[in-house]
Amino acid sequence: MSVLARSVGNAFRNKIRTAAVVAVLAVAIGLALAMLVANQAVGGKVQELNASVGTVLTVNPAGAQGFDGGGEPLTTAQTATAAAVPNVVSVVGTKALRLETATAASTTSTTGTTTQQAGPGAGPGGGTSVTTNLQAAIDAGTLGNRNNTSGSTGSGNTGTGSGSTGTAPAFSLPITATGVGAEVDTSGKALNITSGTGLGDYTVASTKALVGTTLATKNNLKAGSTFTIAGKTFTVAGIFDAGTTFGNNAVYTTLAEAQALAATPGELSSMVVTVNSMENVDAAKTALQTALGSSKADVTQGQRNLETAVSSLDSVKNISLVAFIAALGTAGLIILLIMVMLVRERRREIGVLKAIGARNRTIGLQFVLEALVLVALGSVVGAAIASFASGGIASALISSNSSTSAASQRGPGGGGFGGPGGNPFGGASQLLTSVTAIASPGVIAAGVAAVFGVAVVGALVPALLTARIRPIEVLRGE
Amino acid sequence: MIEVKDLVRQFKSGDRTIKPVNGVSFELEKGTLASIVGKSGSGKSTLLSLLGALDKPTSGDVVVDGVSLAGLPAGKLTEYRRRDIGFVFQQFNLIPNLSAVDNVMLPMEFAGMRKAARLERARSLLEQVQLDPDKQSRRINKLSGGEQQRVAIARALANEPKLILADEPTGNLDEQTGEHIIELLSSLSRNHNTTILVVTHDRSLAQKTERRFRLQQGKLTEEAVRPRVAAGA
Ligand SMILES: Nc1ncnc2c1ncn2[C@@H]1O[C@H](COP(=O)(O)OP(=O)(O)O)[C@@H](O)[C@H]1O
Ligand SMILES: [Mg+2]
Repeated sequence: MSVLARSVGNAFRNKIRTAAVVAVLAVAIGLALAMLVANQAVGGKVQELNASVGTVLTVNPAGAQGFDGGGEPLTTAQTATAAAVPNVVSVVGTKALRLETATAASTTSTTGTTTQQAGPGAGPGGGTSVTTNLQAAIDAGTLGNRNNTSGSTGSGNTGTGSGSTGTAPAFSLPITATGVGAEVDTSGKALNITSGTGLGDYTVASTKALVGTTLATKNNLKAGSTFTIAGKTFTVAGIFDAGTTFGNNAVYTTLAEAQALAATPGELSSMVVTVNSMENVDAAKTALQTALGSSKADVTQGQRNLETAVSSLDSVKNISLVAFIAALGTAGLIILLIMVMLVRERRREIGVLKAIGARNRTIGLQFVLEALVLVALGSVVGAAIASFASGGIASALISSNSSTSAASQRGPGGGGFGGPGGNPFGGASQLLTSVTAIASPGVIAAGVAAVFGVAVVGALVPALLTARIRPIEVLRGE
Repeated sequence: MIEVKDLVRQFKSGDRTIKPVNGVSFELEKGTLASIVGKSGSGKSTLLSLLGALDKPTSGDVVVDGVSLAGLPAGKLTEYRRRDIGFVFQQFNLIPNLSAVDNVMLPMEFAGMRKAARLERARSLLEQVQLDPDKQSRRINKLSGGEQQRVAIARALANEPKLILADEPTGNLDEQTGEHIIELLSSLSRNHNTTILVVTHDRSLAQKTERRFRLQQGKLTEEAVRPRVAAGA
């Protein structure tokens, strides 16, 4: 019989009470762990966002974005200038093309693609239209037809008015094709290739292409299928999922290939510049603007709307942290009260132990260990609760916190085709739902360690109370 | 050798002060079996608790083999209880959820004895108090009163104390079992040369001891000194 064995034995002296105490502890510990898991998951997401998108700057030709505006195009030479700016870790050039479905293009050929080139809004930095045999995966709908109506340029983010009659219900939406210098989308985020492979070397021209999921489905394309752009046959290397309907109605080719298709070698629609850390983004942005010249390029921080996402995630993170601490405190308080009760109940027995020569610390240790046995049982049950509940708790927290910010994200993304080369993110709401709170063993272990820490503190108070019990208590009631 | 010097213990109950122990002095030679009789509430338990360092006297001192308890800090008093004293209580005061042998091992564990040695000694002590071997591993609350008191005596002997203090050890037992217990204590004092002080209100039990004291109104008086009959030591 050792102190530990005695503590374990004492923990089970009253089995019904032990079960009740363990159940209550398990709820508190389970809640604490679930909150910690949510906190870690959200924290991880925030870090990921900050790391991948938060450090990305987008460079557009001065006065132009995507297919809108005017001015001089960016050139491949400027990527070198940008790459030389301090704290810049990578520069990826993109070349945007607008793919018109061959039949649609032919019916509107006289007023369509040609007018676009000469149209009031189509600057040299904008995209170039070429034909394809692909069908767009998005129906024109009200927005598409409205955006397509000539003279609707006032709405800012509409297409450049391809000159179609505007009443033609047969109008087919164009598909965005982007040549990229690396396996990233136009916001600098790594492409999520769901089947097939990437394009390999993104710096050389090749007739391989990546196709968005919905576009692939619409046109029955699989990895290895072929389609045409400007009469040239392309092979689908892989299918990617951008996470949005708009983003998936797109094709990616290598930068060189897109430049060749547009017959504008050396020209870029935009550059995606990645800065080494969040703190350096502002400085790098200024330096980049200076290096490229404000008359030639506009530097914008990519995915401004992500800030809202990050801040709403941050508040979820804070809420879950507070809830974690509160649940942890509750577990500690439960232990404290239970142990105070047990010490009072076993006053006489403690007197006996002292009368036969037990040191105060032996008795104190025995009670702390007994508390830890209860906490260990509570933690096992609590961890089980947490691993089932954390996903639900995390998404409940996130959805209640992101509804307001998500609503404000909708702005420019809503079907308008003039966005900065297309926004593959559907805004923050999309990101928020992609936070998966998985109860990883590491986080659970850290949480359980914290629970034990608090339990020791909670048990120490009653354990110290035993030191004040005098051995004469043994004679109580004799 | 134990010397008790002008021991006083007073309690305040309401606005009255009572002195169940009010100037008690006596000496006991090593190996003596002595008894204290007195009415209920006369202060017998109070006196024993002072001798066993369960409580502190209001004044006076207890000197054990030349060491004054009054001058010892709390830690040393714990050590004194652990090493020099074996307490046997009227209500046994065993730990109910432990087995007989575990109860006897407790004081040895507190004294830092190794587990194997503890177990061996606990078994031999339980044998000495004649507890059936098949009952040694039984939980305390599955034993009869007489059996529990024997376990309590074995526990009191665990660390080979200088002084065994037994507070009405037969009070909760039937007459015959009580006789057995007294005989057991008597043979222990003879065989181990242990000083034993038994509190009892049973005069016939007191008759069997070498020295008999009576506690009355806080004062201790000795009734008779009789030489040891079966002198073993
Ligand atoms: N802690 C205490 N506080 C107040 N009075 C006490 C306390 N302990 C004992 N007494 C009183 O001291 C007297 C002697 O008690 P006790 O020593 O238990 O008597 P006995 O053991 O001879 O029956 C009793 O009147 C009892 O009520
Ligand atoms: Mg008494």
